[in-house]
Amino acid sequence: MEDESKSKNLIKMVRSPIFLGVIIGFLAALLQSLLYSAGGPEAYGFCVACHTRDMVDDLINSIFGTSLVVAPFSAAAFAPALSIIGVMIGALIAAKNNKEFRIKKANFKGALLYFLGGIFVLIFALLLGGCPYRAALRFAYGDMLAFIGILAIALGVFVGTRIVLFQMKKQIEEEAK
Amino acid sequence: MMLQSVFTGTAVLILVPILTLILGVIIGYFAQQSGFCSIGGMRDLFLFKQTRLFFGYLALIASAFVSYFIFSLIIGTAFPNFYWAAEKGFFTPIPGAPGGLENWAYIILAIIGGFGMGLLGVMLGGCPLRQIVMGFEGNVKSLFFILGMMVGAVLFHLFIASWVVSLF
Repeated sequence: MEDESKSKNLIKMVRSPIFLGVIIGFLAALLQSLLYSAGGPEAYGFCVACHTRDMVDDLINSIFGTSLVVAPFSAAAFAPALSIIGVMIGALIAAKNNKEFRIKKANFKGALLYFLGGIFVLIFALLLGGCPYRAALRFAYGDMLAFIGILAIALGVFVGTRIVLFQMKKQIEEEAK
Repeated sequence: MMLQSVFTGTAVLILVPILTLILGVIIGYFAQQSGFCSIGGMRDLFLFKQTRLFFGYLALIASAFVSYFIFSLIIGTAFPNFYWAAEKGFFTPIPGAPGGLENWAYIILAIIGGFGMGLLGVMLGGCPLRQIVMGFEGNVKSLFFILGMMVGAVLFHLFIASWVVSLF
């Protein structure tokens, strides 16, 4: 009996966002303490937008000899930060292990919309200097500009939810007709 | 002090890709299991008064602050400017955005960037991390989103960064 409740608690913990939030914060600080001497920057332990940028731009720089901007520690190291590849591998393992992997096909319009969305989200993220996760790390590091960024994200989300609600209402009204 | 002497020179340059890869696998695994999403957390809070994901994001900020504080006591050289605003001034950004602008320009960029990311994130159903996770749960749309992010990274530094800097 005791074992059963233990494993239930473990599953609860693994599926808890708070648990992952604590892990990301801790590992980001650990990573900085280990890797900062490679060139920084600070509060850079985990960032979806910037690490994608580092990986892709570093690859393009080495293929075409261009000099696109890459974070110092990615430029100095033998290979750039690979956390994005890691996220892909981790998510795939988790989805396969728990039988949650389902192919959801996309039509051309949807694929194009998401492709353009990806381009714009990355551009907006780099204007802020990081995705929401690096903004959180920067804020924790004492960067007040990142706090403004987080508030702006919240405002954007708020406006977005109003638009989504408005669209849903319209749809319901149309279906009722 | 011990750690510093171990991780210097070429050792660190080899460790950058390896450690970030391991970090990514851990985050990816648990992000799939928990549905972790920063923008999704704010959305659920505003739409349904649900705090599950939002508390995950708050936990990230709190944990990062405590961890930075503790690690900066152990290995101070790796955290030269913690607490940043006190060291560098209130609205000086940590490097990452286009370089060499005035502080007020960074405030505008942070507001535009954050607002745009939040708005698009809600419309497309998730923040960049959630999109990567959904893509590798088999969602083809999200795979195109990832592809878009990769193209956006190149476009940003080819054209947009210099264009933005020229505006200010």
